[in-house]
Amino acid sequence: MKILKDKVAKLSFVALLITMTAAMFYAPTASAHGEKSQAAFMRMRTIHWFDLNWSKDEVPVNDTMTLTGKFYVFKGWPETVDKPEVSFLNVGIPGPVFIRAGSWIGGQLVPRSVSLELGETYEFKVLLKARRPGDWHVHAMMNVQGGGPIIGPGKWVTVTGSMGSFVNPVTTLTGETIDLEHYNLSNTYFWHGLWYAIGLIWVAYWARKPLFIPRSIAVESGKANTLVTPLDKKVTLAFAVGTIAIIAVSMGATNEKFPITTPLQAGLLRGMKTIELPVATVAVKVEDATYRVPGRAMQMTLTITNNGDSPVRLGEFNTAGVRFLDPAVSEDESGYPDDLLAEEGLTVSDNSPIAPGQSRTVQVTASDAAWEVYRLADLIYDPDSRFAGLLFFYDAAGNRQMITVDAPLIPTFI
Amino acid sequence: MSASQSAVRSRAEAIKVSRTFDWLILFTLFFVVLGGYHIHYMLTGGDWDFWTDWKDRRLWVTVAPIVSITFPAAVQACLWYRYRLPFGAVVCVLGLLLGEWVNRYLNFWGWTYFPVNFCFPSNLMPGAIVLDSILLLSGSLTVTAVIGGLAWGLLFYPGNWPIIAPLHVPVEYNGMMMTLADLQGYHYVRTGTPEYIRMVEKGTLRTFGKDVAPVSAFFSGFVSIIIYFLWHFFGKWFAQTTFISSEDF
Repeated sequence: MKILKDKVAKLSFVALLITMTAAMFYAPTASAHGEKSQAAFMRMRTIHWFDLNWSKDEVPVNDTMTLTGKFYVFKGWPETVDKPEVSFLNVGIPGPVFIRAGSWIGGQLVPRSVSLELGETYEFKVLLKARRPGDWHVHAMMNVQGGGPIIGPGKWVTVTGSMGSFVNPVTTLTGETIDLEHYNLSNTYFWHGLWYAIGLIWVAYWARKPLFIPRSIAVESGKANTLVTPLDKKVTLAFAVGTIAIIAVSMGATNEKFPITTPLQAGLLRGMKTIELPVATVAVKVEDATYRVPGRAMQMTLTITNNGDSPVRLGEFNTAGVRFLDPAVSEDESGYPDDLLAEEGLTVSDNSPIAPGQSRTVQVTASDAAWEVYRLADLIYDPDSRFAGLLFFYDAAGNRQMITVDAPLIPTFI
Repeated sequence: MSASQSAVRSRAEAIKVSRTFDWLILFTLFFVVLGGYHIHYMLTGGDWDFWTDWKDRRLWVTVAPIVSITFPAAVQACLWYRYRLPFGAVVCVLGLLLGEWVNRYLNFWGWTYFPVNFCFPSNLMPGAIVLDSILLLSGSLTVTAVIGGLAWGLLFYPGNWPIIAPLHVPVEYNGMMMTLADLQGYHYVRTGTPEYIRMVEKGTLRTFGKDVAPVSAFFSGFVSIIIYFLWHFFGKWFAQTTFISSEDF
């Protein structure tokens, strides 16, 4: 019986090893950025990305594409996340598959961190140059100090060609044009190689003589001083002096070769230009909001008042980058990612035009599998169970108004 | 053969066995130090060592030597007091640099395609050679700590300058001036390392104008002296044999 048990244990262990080894042969590329794992309230109540446009779906290596759009820094920014006083406009891609050839907020280049104001809307643009072939999910992204990365909507973009042909030419202020992809590489290898070789020679000098056992015996028996010979001291002195000489000479030669160098540039950019949106003439009051877990639908009771001079209709609800549209009012023509677009996801109990001066209470339902797929339904597990988003109203001429909503959300489980 | 009998039968055989032990121990020491020192340095020096746009004249110069003198001091203590061998610091740095280069080449470049000219490690070898040299020439812990520790901090920046100077050439980019190293940090997207995480050019050393690197290096050298003392004692403590019973022999 014991033999049988031992055999089973042995075979089980072998099977486990084979399984683990076999698993190594299946290693697909990690292409997601954890956007679905980020707490739903973070995506709903911090940075609202809208009007996003990815200029291309396919880009050859060395060619460029742009990611443009706007973001609204939510006024009801959650207390559990640090305010975006130090932020960095980033792009969510799996490493440098593109290089960021440029990024702008309100027309200003933003290679450094910026300070953003709550309640303001900014226009942004990121210029990307394709570097590594593959299918890559390209996200808008804002890093916030103390808040972490706030990832926006992403779209698949295919890079074609060969990375070997990628070049990154840059002209310095000293007039030299270099390829930043390979610049300074041979110099780096040379100096590291040289110093490593000197280090090896130093150890080899000592390792040519008996090392541990005889020397330990000598030290234990009080003959430690006999282990260092006058020649050892001379060689050591030569290494020390040689090291300092190499440093002095190489430093001088480097300064001669590169007489103009500057320190690294750092600092916070303030006063970013915002978009002056027209004063909203539509007022929205959220009477209540519930999320029906089994139906994957959020229902809001809204009282909408039109203080403008033309009738308006609700066309879109945008939250966490997911767009719920009423196709009778609004359609996407930008090629927005399918998984983030619920083209018929918005239902309004009465979406006839609201006349100027009129006030109407309506039931608005935003339903789509995206609630589940993008784990927005997990909002009910967040520390601050409030939802937020952007409502877009349109008049007959196609003029758009953006209204933010922010209210408690009550889940219903039946 | 009983336990009291010798395992070798001649002097030649004893020498051969001794040399075999030498290589075994040296090989093991090298890779143990490589692993331990590498993890330690990545955790404490981290981004300052990873990226060229972190290698500034203030904080990199200050932090890198202070956190890297640790293992050299400890291994020197063990090898010097037990064997009168003065290559503890160099062995440590050889191990660290090999581990770092393997990591940078296979991981940073091979897996994530960051160019090697953006993520090469810092050069610690000049300081290590001088630290070992001072130990042998003085034979003194105190002298090695004070002179060697100071030299470790002072030699770090000039030892790296021939490698990083080309990356500090200025460039005008879309209306802003930056160094090529800054541009590398901007171009090669690091999703999890936003610009504000960079700890560069911060501090209050403004009265020295542009010449802050020597001041930072001196400060680094002074703190390295203290860290050397501390880790030297760690090394001595680890190298003691009091926990081995003499009855075992």
